[in-house]
Amino acid sequence: MATAVGTAVPLERGVRRRLALGRNLPGYMFLAPWLAGFLLLTLGPTVVSLWLSFTNFDLIGDPRWVGAANYVRIATADEKFWTSMKVTFLYVVLAVPFKLTFALLVAMALNKGISGLTVYRAIFYLPSLLGASVAIAVLWRNLFAGDGLVNQLLFWAFGLKGPSWVSDPDYALYTLVILSIWQFGSPMIIFLAGLRQIPQDMYEAASLDGAGPTRQFFKITLPLLTPVVFFNAVVQTIEAFKAFTPAFIVSEGTGGPVDSTLFYTLYLYQEAFAFLRMGYASALAWILVVIIAFFTAFSFLTAKYWVHYDD
Amino acid sequence: MSEIRITRRAALAGAGSAAMLALSSRLALAQEKRLRMFWWGSKERADRTYKANELYTARNASTKIDGETLGWTDYWPRVATQAAGRNLADVLQMDYRYIFEYARRGALMPLDQFMGKALDIADFGAPSIDCGKVDGKLYGINLGNNSVAMLTNVSAFEAAGLKAPKTGIDWKEFSALCGELTKAAKKDGFYGSMDAGGLEPNLETWLRQRGKGLYSDEGQVAFSADDMGEWFAMWDAMRKAKACVPADVQALDKQNIETNPLTLGKAAVAFAHSNQLVGYQAVNPNKLAIDMYPTIGAGGKPGQYLKPSMLFSIAANSKNAEEAAKIINFYVKDPEGVKAVGVERGVPASPAARNVVAADLDELGKAMVNYIGMISDKIGPLPAPPPKGAGEIAFLLKKTNEEVGFGKATAAEAGKKFHADALAIIARG
Repeated sequence: MATAVGTAVPLERGVRRRLALGRNLPGYMFLAPWLAGFLLLTLGPTVVSLWLSFTNFDLIGDPRWVGAANYVRIATADEKFWTSMKVTFLYVVLAVPFKLTFALLVAMALNKGISGLTVYRAIFYLPSLLGASVAIAVLWRNLFAGDGLVNQLLFWAFGLKGPSWVSDPDYALYTLVILSIWQFGSPMIIFLAGLRQIPQDMYEAASLDGAGPTRQFFKITLPLLTPVVFFNAVVQTIEAFKAFTPAFIVSEGTGGPVDSTLFYTLYLYQEAFAFLRMGYASALAWILVVIIAFFTAFSFLTAKYWVHYDD
Repeated sequence: MSEIRITRRAALAGAGSAAMLALSSRLALAQEKRLRMFWWGSKERADRTYKANELYTARNASTKIDGETLGWTDYWPRVATQAAGRNLADVLQMDYRYIFEYARRGALMPLDQFMGKALDIADFGAPSIDCGKVDGKLYGINLGNNSVAMLTNVSAFEAAGLKAPKTGIDWKEFSALCGELTKAAKKDGFYGSMDAGGLEPNLETWLRQRGKGLYSDEGQVAFSADDMGEWFAMWDAMRKAKACVPADVQALDKQNIETNPLTLGKAAVAFAHSNQLVGYQAVNPNKLAIDMYPTIGAGGKPGQYLKPSMLFSIAANSKNAEEAAKIINFYVKDPEGVKAVGVERGVPASPAARNVVAADLDELGKAMVNYIGMISDKIGPLPAPPPKGAGEIAFLLKKTNEEVGFGKATAAEAGKKFHADALAIIARG
């Protein structure tokens, strides 16, 4: 009996495994392109970059092991690292809340059951589709340069002579924050879907009880929307930390004027590809990974105090 | 189970036919030589390069040349990644700044073996050949000589009743003249000159006029903190006198032809390279004059020099190196190739090629060739190639000049900081 069990079970297990593999093979085959891409183009380079971050590597020669020297320099002797940190955090702190607020306001306006909703939704989503392109860089320069449209409007309306917003180190970053807010399409669509989920009878009951629109917003809409707010906040924060193209195209890769738009990712890119310090850039990249992981974990840990789920 | 077997068989059949396809296309390719060529530059350059390649392949039917082109800023990251992947184009455009780095790390092929055979460039003369040598071996073929140049919108000066700045003017006179133009033109947002305090070639020329330079032959910083303080102060004074554009206008200049204050109609003078005259004139409605940079006056040394505007190199990993050398030779020596390229990459180093292009030069081309001829007795020797970190220092110069321009630092502070930072960058390598 004991031997019978001993041999029968593994056999059966093997057959079952083969059967399961056979059943799942088409699935794996469909998955293969993505899986190959993930393993070769994402996981592989990620692991290699961790190793590279402990080396001196100029892309052309061979990597030379230097231990923690890159990390030590970043922490102790790299002025530009702190400049880029400051720029990036300021950007995240400003862009994320403003963008989410704006997206929510537009979503609520669109949720009023107005006619032609799909058209409006498409129009409002358009800036997000344009992304960060050279056309946007040109548009932004024409809007916010010294003789740009914004200053012409200011002069016409108030007789004010504004500075060249996009090329003045005191204001350049804010024009990029505005660019980010302008691309509010994807959080808006998600907010809109969330708003649709809120049962209308709640509002009807609240109106009967005498609650005004403001009270309804803070007592019904916002609490019921917190899961969506949470999702949008996490996604947008990660996006903002990773922001690269807007600064790259508006400052043509320099982070100027006077490093005022030197995003962390832009600095990383410069170190890697302009100054050929791939090892150092890899160390910078891993610090960014840790920072983003920290903020994401922080969001999830605090979520239980302010995110309300129905169940 | 049967479903699975069909899937497997289908997959096998699919894989088989894909392999057959790959094989047959391989066979078709076997007879022809396929080469890649990679360069940076404007559309004008791309048009001329594709034309030259077409002429070459028309004559050599078994050769195919795949051209790729990018702007200067995007070009170098791509070359670096391709070098890392041992996947450089067979023929690639090199700059004097980078040829040492790539040659010394074994990314480029020594070309001495082709001299006198595929490469018939002995008539270049020693200086124009040696500028492509690294540690005694030839790694780059000079595609044309150029020098820095001052481009002037003459009619803007004439309209204001002033004489435009010409070769021989010194920096003091230049600055006063530009200030007068701004005043006389009375156009809102229009100034005498661009602000070139953040441009490396301008600084280098000025330092050489003072008997110094950017870097010594040993690759060390060759200027002092005081030099830099004076440099930043000179441009700060020009900004304050409205002789050049203010900092927030200059910051919109992405150091290319399209965004230069001269092109945008915000200044009457741009500092550029002689071969860019064609590009600048193409986007400027007013006729541009080409002159030398201002000098420091009596007792000054020659600041400018002739340099290879760019070189062609062959990748160490090239499988068709001999064919690549023949293509390069077509660009610099063959009358057909030379004509197609013209003087857009600079004035050809070979006298024979110069005669070929001279025959059908337009007015602009003539102005450029005359300029190179005119300056030849007013220039100094080619400096040693810049050390590692020079590219980063060029970034730093732009940033530091902006700091002074936006009032974040005084010229003297900026001079000290720039000098110290440059030393640190060189030390780091």
